[in-house]
Amino acid sequence: MRSLDIGATGMLAQQMNVDVISNNIANMTTTGYKKQRAAFQDLFYQNIDKPGTTSSDAGTTVPTGLQIGLGANTGAVYRMHGQGSISITENSLDLAINGDGFFQIDMPNGNTAYTRDGTFQLNENGELVTIDGYTVQPGITIPDDAVEIEINSSGEVLVAITGEPALQNVGQLELANFINPAGLEAIGDNLYLESDASGAPTAGNPNEDNFGAIRQGALEEANVNVVEEITKLISAQRAYEMNSKVITTSDEMLQSISQLR
Amino acid sequence: MENSIYLAISRQLALRNNMDITANNIANMNTTGFRSQHMLFNEYIEDPKGADDELSFVLDKGQYQITTAGPMQLTGNQLDVAISGPAYIGITGPGGQQFYTRAGAFQMDAAGIITDASGNPVSDAGGGQIIVPAGSTEIKIDEQGNVSNQDGQIAQIMMVEFENLQMLEAQGNNLYATDQAGIPAENSIMKQGVLEGSNVQPVQEMTNMIDTLRTYQSVQNLLSEENDRLRDAIDKLTQKN
Repeated sequence: MRSLDIGATGMLAQQMNVDVISNNIANMTTTGYKKQRAAFQDLFYQNIDKPGTTSSDAGTTVPTGLQIGLGANTGAVYRMHGQGSISITENSLDLAINGDGFFQIDMPNGNTAYTRDGTFQLNENGELVTIDGYTVQPGITIPDDAVEIEINSSGEVLVAITGEPALQNVGQLELANFINPAGLEAIGDNLYLESDASGAPTAGNPNEDNFGAIRQGALEEANVNVVEEITKLISAQRAYEMNSKVITTSDEMLQSISQLR
Repeated sequence: MENSIYLAISRQLALRNNMDITANNIANMNTTGFRSQHMLFNEYIEDPKGADDELSFVLDKGQYQITTAGPMQLTGNQLDVAISGPAYIGITGPGGQQFYTRAGAFQMDAAGIITDASGNPVSDAGGGQIIVPAGSTEIKIDEQGNVSNQDGQIAQIMMVEFENLQMLEAQGNNLYATDQAGIPAENSIMKQGVLEGSNVQPVQEMTNMIDTLRTYQSVQNLLSEENDRLRDAIDKLTQKN
């Protein structure tokens, strides 16, 4: 019976849906996290009577035909790069991007990774690094005698040094953007890598062209909407149950056949 | 003599196909833009020689799509579109064939081409691709399907209506194909940031499924009763006094 397998494809699809939803909920407080969504499609169809088949010598045709679909599958799980809300932390090395763009991070293996998570720190050499200690491009070094760090909306890093009245410019942060950010490959730790689907990065200064502005002392929260996720979870669970009912029903039909003498 | 068995079997076979279609509807309860399908049964009359009455077999003649719109879900995603009205959106298949869909969960690829979830390009009004130039900050899609960015209009999404929606042949992956020429949409509008859910009615499908199962079982009973009757008849008629 096809319906046994069809019910199974439905259950698998809903299981995938719950996996994606639970990952979103688990990351609802992850800085710079972007929610994902599973997109479902119907599987292919088996034509028992093709629509438009001739039904008589006079050339009349079957108006609808008989096509049996073989279930559902997950077409894609994609990421939605909508802006998350910005929360103020007052920590001078917390940076949020208000608008498009990613911070560029030097990975230990020489690759460049991209992130929206601006929780930066200084390492022992005074360089601006991520929580994992990877340097933020282009390398910015804060002198040891700096007492205050100011990062403006265009990404200029200015420091106040004891005894000097004027602020000193020690570097300029750059952002990168992609034509299709949803195509970036997530590698965990809030980092993404360039992929064939994302296109090549274009770098630029914050607050110019299409790049977002930098907001110092603030962090971008996850763009997960909890109410939306919970309602999706409820509907996924009910759909899962109904698909299991399909399997039970098919089983009962098969059982009644086996009882036939 | 065994006509009643054959009649019952014709019903059983049709019920199985019915169950398959119901199962497919339930499996696609959360599939964007899915249209539920229902079975049409037909009576097939045969008048065998020697029998007084005509026999009526069950034939699963075809199925029809329910074409009511599914629930509209607000997503706020700028590449999600839903159609209010009977129109379908054009999708260009891998071989250049023209497909149609109601599932407006679109994406963009590395070249800025707007595609569906499987990566097939969305057709513009003339059948070409819609390429969003690099550096577009915000994409707007209006009610006629015109795609524009901050610099102005880019293209118009193909939005067509059909004379006979039942002639759309489901291809899987939310796509439909048809020989009919699409008529540019007049009675439909496109909404950005919204997706059309599946129009499967769970209550209807569940009751349909229970109905199918119980009918199947009662036909099964009929078969075993018929079996008993035949055995009795053979026993009695072959008894020697």
